Amino acid sequence: MPKVTYIEHGGKEHHVELPAGWTLMQGATLNGIDGIDGECGGSCGCATCHVYVDEAFLDKVEPQSETEDEMLDCAVSPREPNSRLSCQIKATPAIDGIVVRLPEAQS
Amino acid sequence: MFRFDPYSPAIDADPFPYYKVLRDEHPCFWCEEAGMWVYSRYADIVTALNDWQTYSSARGNLVDELPNRAGATLGTTDPPRHDRLRALIQKAVTKKALDHVVEPTRESCTRHLDAVAGEKSFDFVNEVSSKVTVDLLFYLFDMPREGQETVRDKAVLMVQTDPASRRKGPEHIAAYEWMASYAAELIEARKKAPGDDLLSNFITAEIDGESLADREVQMTVTTLIMAGIESLSGFLSMMALNLADHGDARRALAADPTMIPDAMEESLRYNTSAQRFKRCLQRDVEVHGQTMRAGDFVMLAYGSGNRDERQFPDADVYDIARKPRGHLGFGGGVHACLGTSLARLACRIVFEQLLRRIPEFERVQEQLPWVPSSNFRSPLRLDLAVG
Repeated sequence: MPKVTYIEHGGKEHHVELPAGWTLMQGATLNGIDGIDGECGGSCGCATCHVYVDEAFLDKVEPQSETEDEMLDCAVSPREPNSRLSCQIKATPAIDGIVVRLPEAQS
Repeated sequence: MFRFDPYSPAIDADPFPYYKVLRDEHPCFWCEEAGMWVYSRYADIVTALNDWQTYSSARGNLVDELPNRAGATLGTTDPPRHDRLRALIQKAVTKKALDHVVEPTRESCTRHLDAVAGEKSFDFVNEVSSKVTVDLLFYLFDMPREGQETVRDKAVLMVQTDPASRRKGPEHIAAYEWMASYAAELIEARKKAPGDDLLSNFITAEIDGESLADREVQMTVTTLIMAGIESLSGFLSMMALNLADHGDARRALAADPTMIPDAMEESLRYNTSAQRFKRCLQRDVEVHGQTMRAGDFVMLAYGSGNRDERQFPDADVYDIARKPRGHLGFGGGVHACLGTSLARLACRIVFEQLLRRIPEFERVQEQLPWVPSSNFRSPLRLDLAVG
């Protein structure tokens, strides 16, 4: 099972193993990690699962869709070049060990 | 032998003991009555929702699909077409885009609560939740106000199934056909004189320079009206029922309305109106010792996943402090409910006002008349005695 590290805005780290095919948003909400809300249920319909993807993994995650690009503009915390919506990143062997940082706020 | 009959009035009234047997003893169950498999555990449902390539919606998502609908709506189309269609509507229903809805919703809610002020009891479903819902939808879609009640009645009827024949009855199909022709007339009018409302934008949209197919537009508009009216009203009614049945929770919310959003999420987990939807397998799948074949349908029992003790400790307890992130009250994955922001906004406004004006109320009927439906669960009538 792919491993994911979430780093909260305050610096607290969480190491989680996700079933393949589950999203990084689900990995956070289902393991009680604060800082990711996922209000729309994973349909790329809000921007409350915003994360900053570690530079080393940026080219390994699936590219973002037009809709994700538009939704990221609605994010409450600053949008950076490594900003992604975690509901659009599925846990796969290719991103095993990925590190994502959580923004200060989601809504 | 254990049976799970999603058409039975006993399941409409209280599916939860049956769900527990499904989860514990038959996590991949062949349901004779519906002719499909049933997933009841949280993890299995989420796995299916995440994998649209295997669990396709293109052959319908309602347990009993309406004729001519599969493949022509958001909920019955797979990516990538689905994503393109959804993007046409998504922006109009984000939290930010819905600010304009707040005042009309407050006004509608005030008006309908005024109408029951001073009464010893009132029917929350027919006097409050459906009225506010219909006002809100008609405002959002800029629909002509005449015939509001009829549109509502048809929306409620078209989602039902007949408990005896275990399928859609002639009256349900007739309601659906009525709604489809209502949608067709609306579409024709908007094509001639488009406004800047959500429906006009969808009707006049193009994908890769091509207009949407007539059937796609008609079925999607039909579904938006159905879901908007029936599902939102069902959500509000179930929240009212929970607060009637859980006096401590109700009093806590009346004392501190900032807790209403958390209570709403718990209601969506505890007894969502969207109990069951289906998918169609695109390949053979083996799970929990069963072999399912490509072409088989699988029912995803959201209402059961939400009560799965493997995911939610003390799952049968309504706990407004739970913060049940990841609940399946709006489904999940690419097909998660389009109207989540609208539903949350309307529900918060209704219960802020209701609890301010009527902080004490309790249920009158011991047995509720439930909507007969293989998909949805909400009462047809909910009499509340004002305390």
